[in-house]
Amino acid sequence: MTRLIDPHLDELSSLMAQMGDLAAKSINLALDSYLVGKNARTEVYELSRQISRLYDQVGNLTFEMILKYQPVARDFRLIRSSIEISYAFTRFGRYAYDIISVRDMFGDLSECKNDIIYTISGEIKNMITAAIRCFATLDLEKAKQLQTDEDLVDKYYKRHLPMLIDSKNTKCALADALVLRYLERIADHAAFMGESVNYIVTGNRKPN
Amino acid sequence: MAALTNMTESTSALSEKKKYKVIAENITASYDEVVAVKNVTIKFKDKAVTALIGPSGCGKTTLLRCLNRMHELTKNATVTGRVLLDGEDLYSNAQDPIIHRRKIGMVFQKPNPFPTMSIYDNVAAGLKLNGLRDKAVIDEIVRGCLQMVYLWDEVKNDLKKPGMSLSGGQQQRLCIARALAIQPEVLLMDEPASSLDPIATQKIEEMINELKKEYTIIIVTHNMQQAMRVSDYTGFMYLGDLIEFGETRQIFENPRNELTAKYVQGQFG
Amino acid sequence: MITTEQRAEFRKRFRYNVNQRLITDKIVKIIVFACVIVAIIPLGSILFEVFKNGSAALSIEFLTQIPGAIGTGEGGIGPAIQGTLLIIGMSSLIGVPIGVLSGIFLSEFGDNRFGKTIRFFNDVMAEFPSIVIGIFAFLLIVLVLGNFSIWAGTFALSIIMLPIIARTTEESLKLVPITYREAGFALGIKRWAVITRIIISSAKSGMITGIMLAVARIGGETAPLIMTILGSSQFFAGFNGPMDALPLRIWRLSLLPYESAQAQGWGAALVLILIVLSINVGVRFLFLRNRGKASFWHPRREQKWQR
Repeated sequence: MTRLIDPHLDELSSLMAQMGDLAAKSINLALDSYLVGKNARTEVYELSRQISRLYDQVGNLTFEMILKYQPVARDFRLIRSSIEISYAFTRFGRYAYDIISVRDMFGDLSECKNDIIYTISGEIKNMITAAIRCFATLDLEKAKQLQTDEDLVDKYYKRHLPMLIDSKNTKCALADALVLRYLERIADHAAFMGESVNYIVTGNRKPN
Repeated sequence: MAALTNMTESTSALSEKKKYKVIAENITASYDEVVAVKNVTIKFKDKAVTALIGPSGCGKTTLLRCLNRMHELTKNATVTGRVLLDGEDLYSNAQDPIIHRRKIGMVFQKPNPFPTMSIYDNVAAGLKLNGLRDKAVIDEIVRGCLQMVYLWDEVKNDLKKPGMSLSGGQQQRLCIARALAIQPEVLLMDEPASSLDPIATQKIEEMINELKKEYTIIIVTHNMQQAMRVSDYTGFMYLGDLIEFGETRQIFENPRNELTAKYVQGQFG
Repeated sequence: MITTEQRAEFRKRFRYNVNQRLITDKIVKIIVFACVIVAIIPLGSILFEVFKNGSAALSIEFLTQIPGAIGTGEGGIGPAIQGTLLIIGMSSLIGVPIGVLSGIFLSEFGDNRFGKTIRFFNDVMAEFPSIVIGIFAFLLIVLVLGNFSIWAGTFALSIIMLPIIARTTEESLKLVPITYREAGFALGIKRWAVITRIIISSAKSGMITGIMLAVARIGGETAPLIMTILGSSQFFAGFNGPMDALPLRIWRLSLLPYESAQAQGWGAALVLILIVLSINVGVRFLFLRNRGKASFWHPRREQKWQR
């Protein structure tokens, strides 16, 4: 016999899957458009808005479950982590919008070399897909991998950011700096998702 | 040098025993041939609340009743093992169970104030019927105990009224006061709030929270949320075995045993 | 699973025969009522007859004088009243304590083979014809001592009282829920104190009823008295001689062919009934008057605590 909470858990799972899809889509769209110089601001904005709406729904659903059913053990860890991860998804949407807004704010960036961004954006896209998949399947291995990936991105960020000081083109340097910053934040949140998955499965945030 | 090491070992063992007010060791209890508790060992910390949870028939009430030697009062009931209270075994043959039952108070599931006695007499029953005659002392103890269970203000002008004239929640608090009157060191509670309405339940839980500063409390409960609210340690029993024991937070947030996780999440029982 | 259609079908079946069941209900109720009336009629008519015929004979003289010459209608039943009160009192002194203690034993300690045996013999004794007990007392006491006496009478009547009191005491104690005993033990109270100070006061009402039943029974026993105290026309003259009692006096008076004797017989019967009644009421008043203070307990009233 199904418990009273089970249909709600299914609903939560579905909402999270939708948010994940939208988050991935928004980042991919933002990065790709940025790199080729296309203006996709409106679409990304729309995606971000949808993610926000789903976030509210997730908030209501999780609070309802907590109040009604007082979940414990894995149910509780799952619900708690879902709240945190859904927030991470809204951040993804937000950063996607921020990235695409850079082009808008700074005007034409066609003369900038995008190789710094280009190199790291593939990694970021993979990380996001991995993070979403990791949450969907509660895969501890992927969670571990996300930590390693985040370390890499961090190193890359710390190495390339100071290099921009010596750049001759201020506009490009600033744009790069901003986008690099956003990408580092995205990676951070993705790694955080991995930690949450670890918490759901083992009860500890960091794997021992 | 060797003598010194031996001494530190035995003192640490002693202090271990002292940290734990009650230790139930290898308790196996049965009714006729049915084994209700299978070789269970639990250590109960002093001045803390330990909850025993589990589905019906898992042996938690039987285990509780073994702690103050009430189990053996049932026909054809047998129990083996030791129960150490401050290091002293309650089951060693030299001891008369009566003495020990005065160190361990018990509160039952359904409130059972003595029907022909007044409120005052109910609380004083354990004192008067055990030979205490000093009225002044009895008065003081009765008042103190009724205050401890937050009943004094409600009944102080009606102490001569029959115990049964109180409401269910008040009766249960009266029974707790009665148990406390004999100045026990340990308080055993068998689903004390299961027959009460939510407000009375809340009062009992608040009271337990106060009492645990002075007493070691062991509570059997069906209600997991109550165990979460009230207890510091929780033991999960199933079909006579102790499946898992640990801090309440850990049992309910991250149970190590699969069976425990299933039970607390309501997947059976 | 029952479908909506099935449910509708089933409902039709139940609701169909409701009238029939109501009629059956009424008929049974009437029958039961009738039986009660039939049972009460003899009791009512006896009481009525006794009061009608007996109240005429009552007077101070009647109650205090020794019997006069046979057939004169003078004198009274003083010795008989005294005798009855004496013998009820002495028999109770023996029968009540032993009976109550036996009842306590059977209820608290008798859940075993030994207890079952005792209970069996107790029930057998309760069914003994009282005349057999009278003969037994005659053989054992009267013949040995060489005279009719109050000892023999007391002996016989206590044997009759004992099983009744033991049984009713046991049943009353058993009615007290186990949980009160457990509460007492959990407080470290000794077993005997739990029984006497807690359980017995809860079972008081039933126990008193049992004792009163026994007293009423022996108050009216005639056959054993014939063999043991014989009867007499004098007031109590010592522990080694015969004495009078109301049942004996009633019997003797009723056998005489004189009108006056018959009238006195009715009077004596009325007095006997009144004595038993007043003992009953008096004892209840004395022992159960704490109703206002503590005896709120009643098995059905336990529902109250759910408030």
